[in-house]
Amino acid sequence: MADLSIQLRELDGASVIEPIGFINAHTVKHFESALEDLVTAGHYNILINCARLNYISSAGLGAIMGQIEIIRENGGDIMLSNLQTSVFTIFDTLGFTQLYRVFDQEESALSAFASARKS
Amino acid sequence: MAASLDDLSFKLVIPSQTRYLNLVTNLARRASLAVGLDDATAAKVSIAVDEAVTNIILHAYQNDPNQIVEVELRFASGSLEIHLWHTGQGLREDQITLPDPNEYIRRPRKGGLGLLLMSRFMDEVHFLKNGDRNECCMIKRLE
Repeated sequence: MADLSIQLRELDGASVIEPIGFINAHTVKHFESALEDLVTAGHYNILINCARLNYISSAGLGAIMGQIEIIRENGGDIMLSNLQTSVFTIFDTLGFTQLYRVFDQEESALSAFASARKS
Repeated sequence: MAASLDDLSFKLVIPSQTRYLNLVTNLARRASLAVGLDDATAAKVSIAVDEAVTNIILHAYQNDPNQIVEVELRFASGSLEIHLWHTGQGLREDQITLPDPNEYIRRPRKGGLGLLLMSRFMDEVHFLKNGDRNECCMIKRLE
């Protein structure tokens, strides 16, 4: 099994990116490229579903941080869902839970994107 | 059993390549569990080791893949010690300024978070120099 694989889904009004495995300095390029490709293609509402993400280091958080400015400048956002406890701890320790909206379930995050579009 | 591990140590030498990160972090996690730390704490130790080894590979050795990183796990009385040695550019403790998380949230940027995770997840983090060898020593006390 690869250290990291990425699944992408296009849902109504949001792109869902699902990293499977772990993100560290070795695998981060794969994750970063997937995010960059979405942004380059004009997808600015991005949900990162972390259900199958076992581990993320600061390299992965840096990849997210590297895209957030251009995404928010274009009226979009990055949201997070389904974080495992150890992954949530890392996001929370670094204050990312104040920078990004975190949801227990993917459906809740998609609803939040839908609400944001209406407002 | 944790008591039988007292004063034992294990050493691993890896090339300075990020492909070996998972090997080291898995070892750190297993060692943490072996001394009796819970899953959540073992995950934190594992992340701290990931960040420390990544810093050595990317910054101390500036991505030179032909160097080595020595990793030693010591089961000391009442603590798990992780020692990382390298001969690249060493950090000095008096030059380290950890990012302020509140400031980070106000002005997000891409880097500088690894040291913060190391300091938050371990009880002690030290940067030492002995001749041309630099050491990062991290200690997790057993509650």
